[in-house]
Amino acid sequence: MEPILTVSHLQKVYGARGSRTQALTDLSFSVEEGEFTGIMGASGSGKTTLLNCVSTIDRPTGGAITVDGTDLTTLKGRALSRFRRERLGFIFQDCNLLDTLTGFENMALALTILGAAPKAVDRRVREAAGLLGLEGVLDKFPYQMSGGEQQRVAAARAILTRPALVLADEPTGALDSKSAGQLLRQLSALNREEGTTILMVTHDAFTASWCRRILFIKDGTLYRELHRGAMDRKSFFTQILGVVSMLGGDSADVL
Amino acid sequence: MFCKLAVRNVTRSLRDYAVYFLTLTFGVCIFYIFNSLESQWCMKMLAQSAHYIVDSILIFMDVFSVFVSVVLACLILYANTFLMKRRKRELAIYFLLGLPTGRVSLLLVLETLLIGLLALGVGILLGILLSHVLGLLTMAMFAAYPAGASFGLILSVKAMGKTVLYFGVIFLVVMLFTGVSISRARLIDLIQGGRKNEEMRERPLWQSVLTFLLGVVLLLIAYAMLLLRGFLSIDPLFFLMLALGTAGTLLFFRSLSGFLLRLVKSRKSLYYRGLNMFVLRQFNSRIHTTYVSMTVICLLLLLAIGVTACCVGLNNTIDTMTNASAPYDLTIQNYSGDVQPTDIPALLAENGFDPQKELRDSYFCALYYNDPDLSVPGQGSSDTMVALSDYNALMALQGREGLTEEALPQLRTETLVTGFSGMGAYLVVDDATAATLSVRRQIFVGNYAGDAQTTEAVLTAASESPGFYNTGSYLIATKLQIYMENMGTKILVLFMGLYLGLVFLVTAAAVLALQQLSQAADNQPRYAVLSRLGVSEGMRNQALFTQVFLSFFLPLALAVVHSIVGMTAANAVIAVVGRVDSTQSSLVTASFILVIYGAYFLATYLGSRAMLRGNS
Repeated sequence: MEPILTVSHLQKVYGARGSRTQALTDLSFSVEEGEFTGIMGASGSGKTTLLNCVSTIDRPTGGAITVDGTDLTTLKGRALSRFRRERLGFIFQDCNLLDTLTGFENMALALTILGAAPKAVDRRVREAAGLLGLEGVLDKFPYQMSGGEQQRVAAARAILTRPALVLADEPTGALDSKSAGQLLRQLSALNREEGTTILMVTHDAFTASWCRRILFIKDGTLYRELHRGAMDRKSFFTQILGVVSMLGGDSADVL
Repeated sequence: MFCKLAVRNVTRSLRDYAVYFLTLTFGVCIFYIFNSLESQWCMKMLAQSAHYIVDSILIFMDVFSVFVSVVLACLILYANTFLMKRRKRELAIYFLLGLPTGRVSLLLVLETLLIGLLALGVGILLGILLSHVLGLLTMAMFAAYPAGASFGLILSVKAMGKTVLYFGVIFLVVMLFTGVSISRARLIDLIQGGRKNEEMRERPLWQSVLTFLLGVVLLLIAYAMLLLRGFLSIDPLFFLMLALGTAGTLLFFRSLSGFLLRLVKSRKSLYYRGLNMFVLRQFNSRIHTTYVSMTVICLLLLLAIGVTACCVGLNNTIDTMTNASAPYDLTIQNYSGDVQPTDIPALLAENGFDPQKELRDSYFCALYYNDPDLSVPGQGSSDTMVALSDYNALMALQGREGLTEEALPQLRTETLVTGFSGMGAYLVVDDATAATLSVRRQIFVGNYAGDAQTTEAVLTAASESPGFYNTGSYLIATKLQIYMENMGTKILVLFMGLYLGLVFLVTAAAVLALQQLSQAADNQPRYAVLSRLGVSEGMRNQALFTQVFLSFFLPLALAVVHSIVGMTAANAVIAVVGRVDSTQSSLVTASFILVIYGAYFLATYLGSRAMLRGNS
C-alpha cells in the first residue's frame, strides 16, 4: 500500500549567506495510513521545521514531501490553500480557536470553508463533538472553556473534514496532565476506531508514549525509530525515556 | 522622574497614541474653524448684505457647535477607551512591579494631559492655518467682486477661547474617566487583556428584538416631531427631538448585529456558507464597543449630507431670487423727486449715456404720496401710489399682465424697480386721480440694447461725470450688480455648505478608517488561523471586504434615511424663500459623498488587507 506521507531527503536552510542555519540536513521517513506516529527531539532538532514543511506553512529548501500522492513542493497559492483545507487537519499548541466563535461554530467553520452542504454541517459537528466528549461546550466561547476543552475542540475541528493526515504540534504543551491524558486517550481512540492518521510532534515522553511509533530527530536527521508493537504504554514510556536521555547525553558529550 | 516616564510613554507608544492624537487634533481643528467662521471675512460680508439667512445660519451654527462638541467628546472618550484597551498589558506590568493604583492613575492622567495639550496646540495652529486657506480660497472666488475689506490672517480670540474651554472640559472628563477606570481595574483582567477583548455574550432574541423595536420607535417619534414641527423652532422640544433621534440611532446600532446574527443563524443555508459565520461573529463581537462610534459616525454623516444638500438647495433658491429682485437691466430712482424733480433720460443723455441708443426699451415715471389717504379698507395700507398707465407700462416691460380701470384702486406687490425700493405694497390708482397727487419719487427703468458689460461701463462713466449727483439723489441699480451680489451670497452659501459637509464627512470617514485599521491589527491572529485552516486568500479578502463594508455603509444607510426626513423638513423652511430643486441637490450631494466616502472606504480596505497579508 502507498504510504500517506513520504518525506525524502528533506532539507531546510534558514537565513541568508552570512548566517546559515541548517534546520534539516537530510531527513527521510514515511507514514502509513492509520498510523499514530510521534516525532521527538530536543529543541532545535528541527521537528517544528519538519511540521511546518509538511503542513505547507513553510517551503523546504530541498527534497520532497508527498501526501496522499501529491507532491507538496509543486503546489502553489490557491492549490496550496485548497490542499491544506481538504487533505490536512491541524492541532496546534496554542489551539488556534477563533475567539469570536463558539465551540460549535469553530468546528463548523472547518466544514463551511470546504463548501460542505449546510444541512450536513449540524450532524457532522455533533458527531465529532460526541467522539471527543464536547457536547457541553458547543455553545461556549473559547474563553469560557478550559485549556483541555479548547484543545479538544481544535482536535474535533481537525478530524471533522476527514483529512488524509492530522498534524499535531505539541498538542498537550499547554495542558495540565489530566487534560493532556484525556486528550491523548481520545486521539488514540480516534486513531484506533476511525483509522485517522496522526503525526504528532512533541518533546514530552509521556505524550509520546501514546503513539504507535516514534521517530527521533537529532540535528536535522533521523536519529532512531521506536515501535511500540505489543508493548504496554508503561514499558514503551521507559524505552522512550532511555532514548531521550541518550539524546541528551550526546549533547552533554559535545559540551 | 514620574513626568519623565509619562513623556517617555507618550513618545514610545506613539504608534498607539497616533490614533488618539489624530482624533484629538482633528477635533480641535474642526472645532476652531467652525467657531471662527463668525469672524471670517466671508461671514462678515454676508452679514453686510443684510440677508436674513445670516441669522438663521448663525443660530444653526451655535446649535451645531454644542452638538459638535458633544459628538467630539464622545469620540475622544471612545478613542481613549480604545487606547486603554491596547495598553492593558503595560498597565498590568506597572501593577505587578508594585506601583500603587493612585500612581498609575496619576501617570495616565499626566499622559492624557500631555497629549491633550499637544493636540490642543497643534489643532488650533492647524485650525488657524486652514481657516486662512479657506479665506484665501474665498478671496480667489471673489476676484471679480469688489471686496472692500482688507484681508489678513484671521485670529479669532473668541473661537480660541471657546475651543480651549470646551476641550479643557472634555479632557477633564477623559482624565476622570481614565482615573476611575484604572482604579476599578483588576490585575487579572489587565494581564489577560490580550486574551479576551470583549465579553461575547449572546443576548436572548427577544432582547435584541425589543431593543431594535424600541430604537425604531424612538426614531419614528423623532421623525414625526421633525416633520410636524419643522426646523426653525429651537426650543426644549427641539433638543428633545435631537435626543430621541440620537437614542434611537444608538439602540438601532446596538441591537442590529444581534438581530442580524439571530436572523441569519435561523437560516442554516446562509449561516453555514463559506465564511458567513465568521464575518457575522466578527461584526457581532465588536458591536459592544463600536455601536457608540457607529452612532456618532451616522450622525456626522447626517450632518454632512444635510448641510451639503440644504446649501446646494439654498444656492438654487438664490438664483430664483436674483430674477425676482431685478426685473429690468437698469433702474435709476430719484429719491428727491418730490423737491428736486429731474428729467432723468435727459440727464443721462447730457452726461454721455444716450437712452435712445443704449436702451432697447425704457420707461420714465413718478410714484406718488398717498396723501390724502386713498387706501381701500380691507386691503391694507401703503404710502406709495402708482398711476394705472405707469403700472401697466412697467408690467408690460416685465412681460406681465396689467390692470383695468374697473379694479381700481387696488393694492399690488409686484416688484416695480430693480434693486432696493423701500416699499412693499403700493396702491394703483387711475391716471386722473394720480394727477392730483404730489410726486414722491421718480423712477427710470430700462433694458440694455447691447452688451450689458459695455453698456454698464458707459453708464458708470456717465454717473461719475462731475455734477451728476447735484441735480438729485439718485440710486442706480442694475441687474448685473445685483446678480454679482447674489452671486457672492450664492458662492458663500454653497461654499459653506460644501465646507461644513466636507469636514463632517472627512471626520466620520477618518474615524471609521482609524477604527478599522486598528481593528485589523486585532484581527491579524484570526485571519492567520483562517489561513492555516486553508482558507484561500480570495475568501479571506472577501470576508475582510464585507467586514469593512458593513462598518462603512451601515451608518451611511441610516444617515441617508435620517437625511431624507430632515431634508423634507428643511425643504418646508426653504420653500418659504423659494422652491428647492431637490433632485439636483440630492445628486450633487450623493456624488460628493460617494467620491470621498468611497475613497476612504477603499483606502481602509486596502490598508487592512495589507496589514493582514503582511503577517499571516
